[in-house]
Amino acid sequence: MKPLQKLFDRYEPYFTGSGKYKRLEPLFDATKTFFFLPSPKIRIVPFIRDHLDLKRYMSFVLIALLPVLVFGTYNTGFQSGLAAGVNNGILDSLLIGAGYVLPIILVSYGVGFFWEILFAVIRKHKISEGFLVTGMLFPLTLPPTIPLWQVALGISFGVVIGKEVFGGTGRNILNPALTARAFLFFSYPVSMSGNIWVATKTTVDGISSATALAITGMEGESITNALTRSGFSLSDLFLGFVPGSIGETSALCCLLGALFLMITRIGNFRIILGGIAGLFITAILFYFIPGGKESWANAGPLYHLSAGGFLFGISFMATDPVSAPGTNPGRWAFGFLIGFLTVTIRVVNPAFVEGTMLAILFMNVFAPLLDHGVIKYKTSKRIPNV
Amino acid sequence: MEKIKVSKGFTPRLAGMPDYSLIALPYPDTIGVSAMDIPYIRPKLLVRENDRVKTGSPLFRDKRDKSIQYVSPGTGTVTKILFGERRRLQEVVIKLDKADEFIQFDPVQESGPESSLKSGTKYTIDNIPGEDLVSRLKQGGLWQCLRQFPAKDTADSSHTPAMIIVSLNGNDIFSPHPGLLLEKERPAFEFGLEMLKRFSKRIIVTARETSLKRLETIKTHISHLVPDTYPAWDPGVVLYHLKKNKEENSSWCIGADHLVMMAKFLLTGKFPIEKIVTVTKSGDQKPHLLVRQGIPVKTLAGTLPGDSLITTGRFNGRIANGDSHLGFFENTLNIINTHTDEELFGFIRPGIDKPTVSHTFLSSLFKSPVQVDGTLHGEIRACINCSYCENICPNDLMPNFIMKALHSDEIEDALEYGLLDCCKCGLCSYACPAKIELTQILSNGMDSHYKDKA
Repeated sequence: MKPLQKLFDRYEPYFTGSGKYKRLEPLFDATKTFFFLPSPKIRIVPFIRDHLDLKRYMSFVLIALLPVLVFGTYNTGFQSGLAAGVNNGILDSLLIGAGYVLPIILVSYGVGFFWEILFAVIRKHKISEGFLVTGMLFPLTLPPTIPLWQVALGISFGVVIGKEVFGGTGRNILNPALTARAFLFFSYPVSMSGNIWVATKTTVDGISSATALAITGMEGESITNALTRSGFSLSDLFLGFVPGSIGETSALCCLLGALFLMITRIGNFRIILGGIAGLFITAILFYFIPGGKESWANAGPLYHLSAGGFLFGISFMATDPVSAPGTNPGRWAFGFLIGFLTVTIRVVNPAFVEGTMLAILFMNVFAPLLDHGVIKYKTSKRIPNV
Repeated sequence: MEKIKVSKGFTPRLAGMPDYSLIALPYPDTIGVSAMDIPYIRPKLLVRENDRVKTGSPLFRDKRDKSIQYVSPGTGTVTKILFGERRRLQEVVIKLDKADEFIQFDPVQESGPESSLKSGTKYTIDNIPGEDLVSRLKQGGLWQCLRQFPAKDTADSSHTPAMIIVSLNGNDIFSPHPGLLLEKERPAFEFGLEMLKRFSKRIIVTARETSLKRLETIKTHISHLVPDTYPAWDPGVVLYHLKKNKEENSSWCIGADHLVMMAKFLLTGKFPIEKIVTVTKSGDQKPHLLVRQGIPVKTLAGTLPGDSLITTGRFNGRIANGDSHLGFFENTLNIINTHTDEELFGFIRPGIDKPTVSHTFLSSLFKSPVQVDGTLHGEIRACINCSYCENICPNDLMPNFIMKALHSDEIEDALEYGLLDCCKCGLCSYACPAKIELTQILSNGMDSHYKDKA
């Protein structure tokens, strides 16, 4: 510890005051505070403060993402093996998967941090920890075959247009990681939607395979049968042994992360539970609407929950406190409506097989309105004091 | 005895609770009258350096209401008058003579000024006519014990408050125990309550649940019990939970120790020169102290390492400089350590010894008292809307939204969201993970609104 501290102390003059590299102070500061948590003396009431700070707050989201990340890496390798006709072991799958996933994550963090530092230097503020989460969430929403230049482009759009133009972390109206994904989704639909490419070594482009949500039953065949026939049994969907975006396939791992976020209260349980409730109720309603036996309308809540990116989105994207409502009733409504919209888009809108991303972005826009309504109601209940 | 339900707040698990015993300290050589703990005052000095003062002679008064004056709690010579930034009066320092010479007012007590108050005797306020009472309290330098909401400024004597809240517990978690404050003062306390009935029809007396078992003698006077979560006993919180209409917003409040002082002044005709204080320090259990008003902070705190912070309330007091003196409204000193090494990877340590209201440290699994320090534990960031402040605010405010309204100069919105219900307890700043000075922002917003209006 001491040598490291000395190292920082030695180079500090270069980056602060009138030092040679003082423009890069945010970068130096971010590196230093990553190792040594600053704790300045308090001169303003109250004179004691809680130990939780934003570094820890954001790091906890990364911890919650660990199962998803590890499984996503494994599954990428596993699916790659399947496509090539071999059954890879756990270690092999992880190594092959890491070969696809790590570069995406590195590009995401590298390019994203470039923008963060640039804005921090120009605006002369410190680098915010929010990007730690964005830079990890974004790669996990991408298919493993995504070209790296698209990753760079996407994260640039997400950080600059999704966040920094609004004033940086805390002031953005949309979730930056989802903004980045939406940008790629609409700009490069071939690499992003419909048929997700399974990463393989054998061919350059990989082979295509429909995601579960793109499947419909043949005439007279129920959707669940069609899914099972195509290799999407409910248990595979729940556990995640299906092709798809890196982080979204395993409902189980997402639930583990969600549980961790709810227990530590970093993610608001109202959003997650409200979302799952919204999805269940909407899926059941569609289930009882007659007809459409072969479409996702008839899939029932469990399939809707396990397939696609809903659990990933509701656990990690929707719980982003900045773009979600800041009032508790607002959070319930926000979560519920995301669940409702996700199923509705999946079932009713033939243009999009997956609705989670659009549902969350749409509700992000409406979060301030939900807050406004709740605050108006709450203040009307107060005894006025003016 | 009713119970007030306060669902939010901070459950104290702090180390350093004072011991339930009382030690009298010898009188100091010099005392000081501080102007730093007086709200909104614009002081006008009435003495100069080297003037002689008696116990009870006025030292300065408030320019806003010239009848309110602050008096010397001792007899001696004014040695120093200290000013701070922009020549704001800080303190009047007095070197004490051997014996006190009081400015004598008419006592209520029949048996002469010298004898002490007899327990079991009922004293009556009826001897003092209405007009006389207020002016006598103002001349005696004790009217300012009464405070008026919403800003907790000195009470306006022309106003009839809807209720007066008497708080048995002080501002800090470890303020002096009301059992010790009132043990020997029952007649004065009862006389004080009689006196308050002159000003308002409704007198509320509140105590913390845990204080109750040492309050047998005055139990019958307690009208409301509050839970032991900070700051449920703050009169601002009590008012918020009791009020039913707009008129009650301008209620008054008073601390039990100040009520006793007022009563003793009326009964004996002399300015009360002693009070009970606590000095708390993490990991140390100190007794309650009976001290002289205006005692030097140094005498109470002793010599401390340079990186200690001395405050008069860890959540809502002020920083007491080692050379300053304890103010009239202050009765506790907290000694807080501010020395911390910057920890390697501090942001991801399990934190078994790091107190938090969140659930992100292992310490949240244990219930034993913890040490706290006076550092920020992080850096200031933008608000991320996490609602930690809302979840802890005892008065159901949304400090994050009020802060944003104040930042955009939407004072009407801030007021509508309940800004003036803020009791300045400090918990929003305490809990904020983005380390935003919410308490200061809200408090400044409230003060500027109040000053504009006045």
